[in-house]
Amino acid sequence: MEDTFGEDDYFGEDEHIPAHEVLQTLEDAWLNEKFCPDLLPSQDSYVEAMMEQIQQMEDNLTKLKKTDFRVEVHHMELARIRYIITSYLRTRIEKIEQNTAFILEQETTRSPENPHLSEGELNYAREFLALQENHQKQLVLKHVPPPFQDFMSTQQSLVPNLRSHIFLRAKKDVNGVVIEGDRDTRDEEVDLEENSQHIMQYKPIANLIHDGSVQLI
Amino acid sequence: MPLTLTQRCCHLLAPLIPFTVVFIHLSDDDGVRQVFEEMRGLYDQNVAAANDSTADPDGTAISSIAIRHAALERNKRCLMAYVFNRSKKLRNMRWQFGSILPPEIKANLCEPEIQWFNSYSKCLARYMKSIGGQGLNLAQDVKPPKSLYVEVRSLIDYGKFELDNGEVVLLKKHSTHLMSRAQCEPLIIQGVLEQINH
Amino acid sequence: MYIDNIVEGFYNVVHDSRVLLFVNYDIDAICSARILQYLFRCDTISYTLVPISGIQELRLAYEENCEEVKYVVLVNCGGTIDIVELLEPNEDVVFFLIDSHRPTDLCNVFSSSQVRIIGKPEAEENIPEFDDVFREDSEDEEDKSDNSGGESDPEENRAAKRMRLSEEAILKRREHRLWTEKRDRFVFNYTQFSYFGKASAVRMFELALNLSKDNVDLLWCAIIGVTEQYLLGKIEKQQYILDTGVLQGHVSKLSHNVDEETAEAVATPVTAPRISFIKDLQLALYRHWTVEASLRHSMYSACKLKLWSLKGERKLHELLVDMGLPLAQSRQKFCAMDMVLRKEFHSMIEKLAEKYNLDQLVFTSFILQHGFRNKFCASDVVYSMLALLESTSRDRSSKDCFLEAMDALSRSKKNLLEDGIEKAKLMLTSIFKMVQGALDMQMVVSGGPFLYFVIQEGALNARHFSHPHTLILLAQFLLQAHVMVKKKSLNLPLIASAPLNVEDGTCLVVGIPPVIEDSPRNFFGKAFEQAAEKTNARAQLDYFDSSIMKLKTEDRSKFFDALAALLS
Repeated sequence: MEDTFGEDDYFGEDEHIPAHEVLQTLEDAWLNEKFCPDLLPSQDSYVEAMMEQIQQMEDNLTKLKKTDFRVEVHHMELARIRYIITSYLRTRIEKIEQNTAFILEQETTRSPENPHLSEGELNYAREFLALQENHQKQLVLKHVPPPFQDFMSTQQSLVPNLRSHIFLRAKKDVNGVVIEGDRDTRDEEVDLEENSQHIMQYKPIANLIHDGSVQLI
Repeated sequence: MPLTLTQRCCHLLAPLIPFTVVFIHLSDDDGVRQVFEEMRGLYDQNVAAANDSTADPDGTAISSIAIRHAALERNKRCLMAYVFNRSKKLRNMRWQFGSILPPEIKANLCEPEIQWFNSYSKCLARYMKSIGGQGLNLAQDVKPPKSLYVEVRSLIDYGKFELDNGEVVLLKKHSTHLMSRAQCEPLIIQGVLEQINH
Repeated sequence: MYIDNIVEGFYNVVHDSRVLLFVNYDIDAICSARILQYLFRCDTISYTLVPISGIQELRLAYEENCEEVKYVVLVNCGGTIDIVELLEPNEDVVFFLIDSHRPTDLCNVFSSSQVRIIGKPEAEENIPEFDDVFREDSEDEEDKSDNSGGESDPEENRAAKRMRLSEEAILKRREHRLWTEKRDRFVFNYTQFSYFGKASAVRMFELALNLSKDNVDLLWCAIIGVTEQYLLGKIEKQQYILDTGVLQGHVSKLSHNVDEETAEAVATPVTAPRISFIKDLQLALYRHWTVEASLRHSMYSACKLKLWSLKGERKLHELLVDMGLPLAQSRQKFCAMDMVLRKEFHSMIEKLAEKYNLDQLVFTSFILQHGFRNKFCASDVVYSMLALLESTSRDRSSKDCFLEAMDALSRSKKNLLEDGIEKAKLMLTSIFKMVQGALDMQMVVSGGPFLYFVIQEGALNARHFSHPHTLILLAQFLLQAHVMVKKKSLNLPLIASAPLNVEDGTCLVVGIPPVIEDSPRNFFGKAFEQAAEKTNARAQLDYFDSSIMKLKTEDRSKFFDALAALLS
């Protein structure tokens, strides 16, 4: 994929990130999002930048002759990139729709510099929750006895399973990952070497994904 | 007796259990109504029993109140799960068929569900438009693309299908075509065309 | 017009547009279509493929699909009829004909650019010259004016000039009449016999070769096309041997990968598909059946040994004993027989062939192997595909069967092929039983200049024979068998008829040439046409192979009478 972008493709005015790095970031984000039970921070700016790039490339391609075989190869490349982007966004939407109340609540506890939802996703989540609440009220909650007419209380059970297991690869050396023990075992502390692969619960390494030291596979 | 409690709920939820079933069954309005009646009955019993706490020498009333309360909670949760799962299937329909439902599916929905579907459609459309500044249709490119053109076979007599470049293809049952993947993808997802692999 | 350079004249022309592909219901057409599909896929030439079984269906399908289409490719259909007249297309639509049916309609041959025939005219076609067949109509005008001049009696006064003009007119008219008679003779000679030319699948393979896109799978399609022509009696043995010789050249070329730099043979993986040239036996499906069943149900062995009679049965057992094959083994599936017996089977039967009058038992053919378990010989595949193609039932329409037969050529869909082989066994068994019944009850009747055999509605397994290919196989088997019983009928052709649709009261009629003429040239096309005209029978000469037709069952007897009168 690196061949699609030349050396001169850069994004944004303040951040001069080469295009192929953007793509790599998106790919990693996509994989992480697919395998993670929780919703990860939104890579909104990268998505937007990538889409601009795609549009530009499509415009360039219309200038080439149809029989030039590069056209097909580039179209394929664009189709693949589009697939990564749509799959990434689709996965996020599915997670939002499944655990709406939880995600919105989590979002309010976060600082404004580290949003997990993009603006569009935030609006969507709020609308969707309202839709569900209205729907439930109409069909069920209106008709049940008064003490049971609360909607939000049931939503608290719709949370992602943070203890589900995932495969990961350590991108750099990480020391001191604490794996909680249960009744029978004590807490363990593990060191992850660079490029080693592991399978473990999501919860202990959740923050490691955010700072990029770990990649889900 | 507690054994019959919430059994109606189980009947409600049973059709939803095979998760692979894609289509929506007929909305079980009767079953839902029966559960409401059961809940009302239990609640009334509870209220009566709570008010009548004086007539409870050996404390068995508390436990029956607790049981009824638990049954009521469970009924409520089952009902909400029923509605929630149906709306999830509806949501999948939106992704598969677009914003217009085929009449055979519409016939199985109750009126609030149809309204929910339309509102969801709009909500989703608004979000998709807001992506990346120019909008992105997330219902496309559902599978990793293997080639730009695919060989497809028509499974039904669909009729004429216009391509982007103005050409018209007649999709009659049993005809085979080679078409641009992006253009016939919606038809493949809907089940009108079948992709042929070699 | 004919297009010799298939790449320039056909492939490059359609390269940038959409193509409409019409494919006939026969194995050769299916194989050609598969090769074309592969090539179109490689170059992303978008196409639409529609299967069609007859002339009316072609017309309907064209009307439905012709919007915005500039290039139409007809595979094994439309060569023998005037396409432009039938379809009434726009002037800019171009038709490419890849048809092995002969004779090619003269309007197609001499079309200036709208109809393009892929290939060269073969020498044996004897296509008349353009001037012998087509002529400008200026003579007609003169005819009219001269007619009026000739009818009224020339008067004496102005008569001299008129006499002179009339003389010229009379001479011109006479010349025109002679030309017309000659033209009719040419046309009659040209269209008298219907036969088959080069297999379309081979032409398509040559296209692939010229585009350097040939591979083992495409070559296998070409082989199947040629084998089908041979097994259904469409071409003579000599032609088949020539064709397979050419194909064998391609086989050896494809199976030797020589690395030019190191000049060493680069080993292809053991599981890669490869074709081998073998000497096969004319025993249908013997690798997938029991030896006894295969001997009994194959036309060649059954006829030579007369296996429908008790005497024949005894001969069969004698043969098995001579081969050293115990009866129990011969009744087991071939793949379940002892290894030793299996290996020696081929050589044993070859040795005994002469003694039992089976000297033509061995013929040259090909085998495709891929993976460790998959080994199919060409005739097995042909029988399998034929059975799949003609296995319509309530749930499977004929188009479903067409698509299945097409998929059976995929290497990944081996189960379809095996399913087809089982169906083929049923087909061959019912053919044999029908032949046996027919001979026992002497149902092959002489109609004067021909023999005929009718399967009545309601007869056992009658529905198997309501398909053209099965009926043709039956007719060939029956004629060969009948000839063994009654030597006198060597020079009589056979017409077979089977019920087609009981509700509509229609039946299928096929005619095959006599045994004594080794050539597959069939005159029934023209004969059927003339007989239908004479008797006003409700006949439909709808099939592209003109020796097959549909007829209302009620009109059958008078139709046969008219035929008898015509041919005697």
